[in-house]
Amino acid sequence: MYKIFVLIILSFFSVSSTAYATVDLSGKTITWVVPFKEGGGTSRFARFIQPFLTKYLPGNPDIQVMHIPGGGAIKGSNYFQKNAEPDGTYLFGCSTSVIVNVATGNPLVEYNLSEYRPVLLLPQNTHWFTRTDLADGPHDLSKLLERDLVLYALKTPASADLFHIWVFDKLGIKGAKPIPGLSSSGGYQAFLRGEIHISSHGAANYKKKVIPEIEKGKVVDLMTLGIIGADGSVSRNPLAPNAPTFPEMYEKVTGEKLSGDDLEAFYSIGAAWSQASKSMLLPEGTPDEIVQVFRDAATKMVNDPEFKEKATKALGPFPLIIGEEAGEIVKKAAVFSDNTKEQLNTVLKNNKFTFRVR
Amino acid sequence: MEQFFSSLVQLFEITHLAFLFGGTLLGLIVGILPGMGGTSGLALVLPFVFTLEPSYALAMMIGVLAPTTTSDTFPAVLMGIPGTSGSQATVMDGFPLSKKGMAARALSAAFSSSLLGGVFGAIILSISIYYAIPIIMTFGFGEQFLLVVLALLMVGALTGENFLKGVTACCLGLIIGSIGTAPITGDSRYTFDTLYLIEGVPLVIVGLGLFAIPEIVGLLDSKGAIAKSLKNEKGWLIGIKDVCKNWFLVLRCSTLGCLVGALPGLGGTVVDWIAYSHLKQTVKDTSQLGKGDIRGVIAPESANNAKEGGALIPTLLFGIPGSGNKVLLLGGFVLIGIEPGLDMVTTNLDLTYLMIWSLALANILGAGICIGFASHISKITLVPYYILAPVMICLIFFAAFNVNRDWYDFIGLLTFGLIGIAFKNFGWSRPALLIGFFLSTKVELLSYQTHAVYGLSFISRPVSIILILLCLATILLLLRQKFDASYNSNLVKNKVQQICFVLFLLSLPVTMIWSIAHLDYRANLYPTSLSVIAIFLLTFILLIKIVDLRKIASLDNAVLRFANTHIFEIGARFNNQLYYYASFLGYLGMNFILGFPIASVLFINLFILFHDKKAFKISICISAVLIILLWFLSSLLTLQFPNGAIGLLIDMPWWLGGDLN
Repeated sequence: MYKIFVLIILSFFSVSSTAYATVDLSGKTITWVVPFKEGGGTSRFARFIQPFLTKYLPGNPDIQVMHIPGGGAIKGSNYFQKNAEPDGTYLFGCSTSVIVNVATGNPLVEYNLSEYRPVLLLPQNTHWFTRTDLADGPHDLSKLLERDLVLYALKTPASADLFHIWVFDKLGIKGAKPIPGLSSSGGYQAFLRGEIHISSHGAANYKKKVIPEIEKGKVVDLMTLGIIGADGSVSRNPLAPNAPTFPEMYEKVTGEKLSGDDLEAFYSIGAAWSQASKSMLLPEGTPDEIVQVFRDAATKMVNDPEFKEKATKALGPFPLIIGEEAGEIVKKAAVFSDNTKEQLNTVLKNNKFTFRVR
Repeated sequence: MEQFFSSLVQLFEITHLAFLFGGTLLGLIVGILPGMGGTSGLALVLPFVFTLEPSYALAMMIGVLAPTTTSDTFPAVLMGIPGTSGSQATVMDGFPLSKKGMAARALSAAFSSSLLGGVFGAIILSISIYYAIPIIMTFGFGEQFLLVVLALLMVGALTGENFLKGVTACCLGLIIGSIGTAPITGDSRYTFDTLYLIEGVPLVIVGLGLFAIPEIVGLLDSKGAIAKSLKNEKGWLIGIKDVCKNWFLVLRCSTLGCLVGALPGLGGTVVDWIAYSHLKQTVKDTSQLGKGDIRGVIAPESANNAKEGGALIPTLLFGIPGSGNKVLLLGGFVLIGIEPGLDMVTTNLDLTYLMIWSLALANILGAGICIGFASHISKITLVPYYILAPVMICLIFFAAFNVNRDWYDFIGLLTFGLIGIAFKNFGWSRPALLIGFFLSTKVELLSYQTHAVYGLSFISRPVSIILILLCLATILLLLRQKFDASYNSNLVKNKVQQICFVLFLLSLPVTMIWSIAHLDYRANLYPTSLSVIAIFLLTFILLIKIVDLRKIASLDNAVLRFANTHIFEIGARFNNQLYYYASFLGYLGMNFILGFPIASVLFINLFILFHDKKAFKISICISAVLIILLWFLSSLLTLQFPNGAIGLLIDMPWWLGGDLN
């Protein structure tokens, strides 16, 4: 009896280990669900990676990108939750706004993002800058701290722009007042017209639109969000190596290191806003061996010379995050601690918004 | 200068030319079908263009847009049916010319003046774009706000026969536009906790529903071919000579068209009428006008195409659509990642030039083809209604579905279709509703942003003062224009229906106030105040309708006569049209059961065979083409068509609405 039991166990193991060895996707079609319209950032991200992934996945499966826009990205995400099979034939294209929907507790969300299995993350970084006459040279906040009114653009308090409110509150800019309904590019135009005082851009637009203005002497850098490493260290953004990161600026202004609840909130915000800006995830419950196959393919992809050549232009200057570390980041981004939620709700309240993080 | 030439090179690149040419052909075909003007045409291609390279997508969109104001001249001249709103004035003299047996002359005169107007518009635009940067920098939140207000006031010009009803339609459009996530606070307004309405009602749905469906229903109702017979003779040379003789008129009217087109909200419908009234005021002998004067064709047609160039200025620089179809073009820009504004004259200047010249080239191509193939193209209008209409319906359903890929798209389409039919029959302005709808978010945001940055001080900025003066002048002009219309209540057949329709419209503002009352004041101030205004206006209209003032002699004064003008519309065809509309509901039901591809084939076959049992060869051919097209699109775009209940029973292939993989 005992022998039979051992045999069954052994055969079970041997079967599962052969399954591991032969994850083969040949002849399969992988559906990559993108909860946004064609042509958007996440769509472009998926389209760029798609051919490389086909090349490096075992069996070279076809990958079709399926766009399901609507409902502030919730519709497509809910569709994925309901329809995706955890067998490696479904992928999810995620972005900050998909994460923010979860993190802020939107009641329409039905997708269980924190249990998804990340394959790779594409980080982004935010640059803040101001007009030359509003600062004593680059990276100086003293003039803005004294002003009665410091206007900045804010899409809506329910979007990732919510984090701007937190950042300016932590730095103690008393006059900071958001102007809602402005996208970052609409806000930048208002900034150039002199109507708002602090503006921000992601890396790509910073390089294309802001650097020329800095060279003309009209605009100065303030700071960047900073690049958060696996060990929690925050390093400077290679695009603006002289600009301090948010924690550095915090220390400069308040004289104290960013710590405790504030640091925890910063890590969560940084994970959602910066580290997991765009990501590729497998559905909840995907077996480890399949996840590993996708991660291996992603690693090979990153080392492909063609990928290296094109990636900086198409995806930005920041290296992709692949592996178990990515899972931790998505969890941190999707599930805010009660302390962080309370911090966000306090700054929302101080700015007279009725929206609350739930 | 560098960008000037780089875009010139790009313009004549083979792929670019191919897309432009393809778009132009599609635009010509679409423009010739009544109800399928530039707006519907662009709505049809919109879902496809954004998978292309941005510059090719642009070429295609402009290709579609440019010649629709050219080719709509065919039905206008040959049949007296304005294919798009832009050709209404052309009918005035074009149709009498046709009846006189001079159709070819009228057509070729119309096309050559179209061509000249289009090219002239592009030239003006190429020059004026240089001076655009300083203009943009002076246009802060306050100036933009006033510009939108001016645009809304100019909607008054589109208000149709009754001023009150027009303003109310615009107000209702503004309310519909405020549905969705409140831009200032992030609260959901009037969404009933559904996902579909979170981003607001989709523009394409409103456009297709309001404009395309009523036209198709009208075609069905007329129960004929679009045209009964075509007369063609070799008068096209005379037409070209006519244009040469009147070159100064062409120049004046295209300048006018370009200017008017650049002012937001005014384009489309009015430009040709303004040109027509300009003609009336400036020529000595007006005796033949309206009875078949060739100048009556030349004036509106040259203004009409020049307007397309002018209308691009506010669209590109401020993101404010210069005319109805620019609303959709703007949507297309955003989809392919072009954001209107400063970029269009700095980093994207080459794209801007490419656009302007593509427009000119598409105009030349379009007009050239029209002159060359005039007699052939016009034959499509001989296709019987029972073949054309079901195909058009399937196309429009398909276009609607492509917006959000959602069943609610169909329901929204049919809802706005019904509103459109009622609006058309009861004399309510559809353009006013559409423009109000589109500008709504801008009005709300800009008023808030202006207040936050400037308070009230924005009024004293120089550009603001100019704009305020323009607004006042517009109001004066509108009031003068509208006072001399006549009254027609004697012919009205269905007064009760028209009164009930007002009650139906009242339900929107009332439920809006009720559903958002609990929100933060910054989320509900705007829709609530609009709703209060709308309720006031609608109640007033309701009272006038019920009392029917003209019957009471003691109340006969100018203001009340003004309010009472065309308060009813004849609307005799409304019930018939509802009957045809009901068949669309049947088609929607078939969709629920069978899924979109099978339902469409079945619908087309049933519709055609019901009217002509011998036409099975035609219906089979159309079905085959449709199925191949749907299969092709499905695999090209990873499109899953709406799947019906049948999919639960039978395992369907993916492209017929089955499961993935």
